[in-house]
Amino acid sequence: MSLDEPSLARLMAASQRGDRAAYRALLGDCRQWLSRYFARRIAPHHIDDLVQETLVSMHRKLATWDSGRPFLPWLAAIARYRWIDMLRRQRDEAELGDNDAAVGAEDEAVHARLSIDHLMTLLPPKQAQAITLVKIEGASIAEASKICGQSESLVKVNIHRGLKKLAQLIESE
Amino acid sequence: MTMSDASIDALIDGLADDLEPVKPRRLLFGSLWVAAGWLIGAAGLLWLLGMRHDLAAGAMMAPLPMLAFWLIVALGLSAAWSALRMGLPGVGRDYSGWRWAGLASLALPLTAIFMGFGDSHGAIEAMKPQNGLRCTIDGLIAGLGVGAALFCWLKASAPTSPTRAGWVIGIAAGAAGATIVALHCSSGDMVHIAFWHGLAVGLSGVAGRIVLPRWLRW
Repeated sequence: MSLDEPSLARLMAASQRGDRAAYRALLGDCRQWLSRYFARRIAPHHIDDLVQETLVSMHRKLATWDSGRPFLPWLAAIARYRWIDMLRRQRDEAELGDNDAAVGAEDEAVHARLSIDHLMTLLPPKQAQAITLVKIEGASIAEASKICGQSESLVKVNIHRGLKKLAQLIESE
Repeated sequence: MTMSDASIDALIDGLADDLEPVKPRRLLFGSLWVAAGWLIGAAGLLWLLGMRHDLAAGAMMAPLPMLAFWLIVALGLSAAWSALRMGLPGVGRDYSGWRWAGLASLALPLTAIFMGFGDSHGAIEAMKPQNGLRCTIDGLIAGLGVGAALFCWLKASAPTSPTRAGWVIGIAAGAAGATIVALHCSSGDMVHIAFWHGLAVGLSGVAGRIVLPRWLRW
C-alpha cells in the first residue's frame, strides 16, 4: 500500500497510460483513503456505497487529472463532489435511520480543509447538533430529539435545512 | 471479508479490466477551443452585419470606448480561464480570479451613471430599447461560440460546482459577445456601452446560471 502523494501520483500517471496493474493498485489505495475520508462525513452504512460511487467517478474522469499537479487534492475534489451529491439525495429522501457510530479519520491537510468540524461551526447550532447526532454519530431521530430537547419534527427540519446549507458551503470551499 | 468488501473488490477488478489509455485534458487545448469560438462568433457577426466604418477605415476607437472594450476583453478572458480551470478539479484550487476583472468592469456602469448625471436627457435617450436592444441581442448571439466551447470543455471534464460553472460560462460568453459587438456598433456613448453591451454580459450570466448546471452534473 502506498498512500503517500508521490507514489499515488506515479500510479495515476501510469494508469493514464493504460497500465492496469498500476491502476488496480491505485484503486486499492484510493479505496483506503476514501474510506477514511468519508468516515467522519457520513453515517457508517453509507460509506461503502460512497466509496464505490467515487471510484466509478474517478474512473470516468481519469483524464481530468493533470500530472503537473498533486493527486490527492484531485481525488478529494471528486470525493467531495460525490459526498455533496449524496447529501442532496439524503435531503431529498429525508432518509433517517439507526446506524452505528462512525470511526474517526486521521488528520491530513486535504481532510482538514474540508473538516466537518469546521463546516459545522458555520451552521446554526441546532442544525449542526441535529446533523452531528443523526447523520454522523448515527443516533435515531427519537434519541436526537431527547438529547436536543426538540420535537422529532423539528429535528428533521433542522437536518433538512442544515444539509441544504452544508451542501452550499462545501461547494463554495 | 464482508459482502461489501467483496463487492468493492469486484468493482476494482472490473474498473481495472476496463481501463484504456486516456489523454490528459490540457488547458491549452481548451483555450484553443475558446479562441476558436471567439473568432467564429466575431467572423459570423461581422460577416452578417459588417464592421463599424471607422475601424474598417483604419481609425482608432475613442479613448473611453476603447477602455471599455479592453475591460470587457479582460473580463471575458479571465472568466473563460476560470471556467477552463474548473474542468480540472482539485481541493484548494482558486477559481475566483475572474471576479477581480468583474469588479474592475463595474467602472463602466459607474462612469455611465456619472455621465448620466451630467446629461440626463442624453442618458435616457441612450437607454431606450430602440437605441440599443439590438446590440444586446447581437452580443448574446455572438457569444454563443465561446459559450459552446466552454460548455463542451466542462461537459467532458469534471466541474465540481456546476452552479458556479454555469455563471462563469455565461459571463465569459456574454463578455466575448460584447467585445464582438463593439467591433460592429459605432456608438461611442458610454451610457449605451455600459447599459446595452453590459446587459449582454449580465443576461448571459443569468442564462448560464439557470440553464447550464443541470447539464454539467456528472
